[in-house]
Amino acid sequence: MTGYTVRPVADDLDTGGFFAAAQDGQVAVQHCGECGQVLHMPRAYCRHCGAFSPRWRAVAPTGTVFSYTVVTHQVHPAFEVPYTVLLVELDEPAGVRLIGHVPGRPAVHIGQPVRASFPALPDGSLLPNWELLDDDAVAS
Amino acid sequence: MLRNGAGMAAGEETVHRDRCAIVGIGATDYSRASGRSDLTLAVQAARAALDDAGLTAADIDGIVRCDMDTVLHNDLVDALGIPNLTYWSQVGPGGVAPPAMVGQAVGAIMSGQASTVLVFRELNGRSGRRYGQAPKQDALIGGGGSYDEFFAPYGLVTPGQIFALMAQRHMHEFGTQPEHLGAIALACRERAQANPNAQMYGRPLTMDDYLAARPISEPLRLFDFCLETDGAAAVIVTSAERARNLRKPPVLIRAVAQASTRDPQPGIQFPVLMREGITSLPAVAVADTLYRRAGLGPEDIDVAQIYDCFTITVLMQLEDWGFCKKGEGGPFVASGEIDLGGRIPINTGGGHLSEGYIHGMNHILEGVRQIRGESTSQVPGAQNCLVTATPLPPGSGMILGAA
Repeated sequence: MTGYTVRPVADDLDTGGFFAAAQDGQVAVQHCGECGQVLHMPRAYCRHCGAFSPRWRAVAPTGTVFSYTVVTHQVHPAFEVPYTVLLVELDEPAGVRLIGHVPGRPAVHIGQPVRASFPALPDGSLLPNWELLDDDAVAS
Repeated sequence: MLRNGAGMAAGEETVHRDRCAIVGIGATDYSRASGRSDLTLAVQAARAALDDAGLTAADIDGIVRCDMDTVLHNDLVDALGIPNLTYWSQVGPGGVAPPAMVGQAVGAIMSGQASTVLVFRELNGRSGRRYGQAPKQDALIGGGGSYDEFFAPYGLVTPGQIFALMAQRHMHEFGTQPEHLGAIALACRERAQANPNAQMYGRPLTMDDYLAARPISEPLRLFDFCLETDGAAAVIVTSAERARNLRKPPVLIRAVAQASTRDPQPGIQFPVLMREGITSLPAVAVADTLYRRAGLGPEDIDVAQIYDCFTITVLMQLEDWGFCKKGEGGPFVASGEIDLGGRIPINTGGGHLSEGYIHGMNHILEGVRQIRGESTSQVPGAQNCLVTATPLPPGSGMILGAA
């Protein structure tokens, strides 16, 4: 992410745990601490059991490309075009998606495996991102 | 399983059927540089709607605005000289609002809170605040329930990029082709060639032009995107009884509906990518509710004004509103079914893609013209016109009909 300057709010009460886990090199997904249901996008209340006991849980840092777009029209000075936005579906928990950024126009297709990486932002903090793997790569 | 309206007694949700009417429509010119304030645009559209109805400001006792209007209710009360406003309301987010705004007017009229309601939308969408622009450089982004922190740091910053991800997925699941999206762009552009108030009037588009245009966020190209527009549009709603004695033949509001989807995800745009499926829109839920309330189905619709922020948005809505099966939108549009003489002519004024982007409101005006027989691309004998505003995250829709 060269030229990268957009920093996420990393201390939001509902979502900050995602960015905190990233500093330890982990992809974390929020779950209900009572019934275990996935809470994504992250929020404290579990509508399944009524608890307010969210827990961040490290998950496997692997997934597949659910969709992607190659951005060719510059809309933000921090993101040089072309670049590719990945919509990643995690291997687990099922159905949970996150976003990735790949500079340029890589060979990419829906279903392609990806693995998490943790590039450093200008302030030294780490951001979860996703790297494209070969189709026959062992995602582990 | 709860369905929309499940808590209602029989007939309760159809009480408003054909009970209110749109009796006046008004719009400014649509341009890239109006040179006028938002308030001036709103007043001009409102004045035109009053003149069209044969009413004066003193007849208006209700106003409904969109949450993204900069003009407030009070601004128009003062500017127009409305002596006694007894009802005001606003609906959002943004482009989802217009049919729901008319729904607010219907609710106010049927509950006795107002008799005649002005519904308006204004924006200097090109010369003023341009939607779809990215946040400022070096900004700390997200938090506060926006969830933008999960998206903007990766360069996912505009609605066009969201719909590009949806389009890519639609192509993957159903084999949709660029030429299919192009057919929607061309249909809207052709209708604009007959409409002198359309921004793309006099600028025809061929499939070669469409395919050769520069990509913006692949697979979407330049002409998959709607226009940026300065302008305003307004309609006047009153009871069907009062409507009989006004200047123009009344256009009945058969029914109106708002609906959200199951598991919609929070926020107003980016989190929709976390929904179980991203090749359907909330149109499915709005269609179910609206058709039931109107006592009509897609087979009864003669012409439709489909919310077209992007071409892919139209394609998915045609499927979701039941004009073809899910996944068959591409072949459906490519076979001419959305053109004049086809199964369901759409966006007969040119739509957001080629008339102008008044955030869903110009679609209502064009729907009224179709029922009056005043459209520049008239569908002969049109009795029922569907107007949709079902992009994301929720949606609204209405059916206009002849008296």
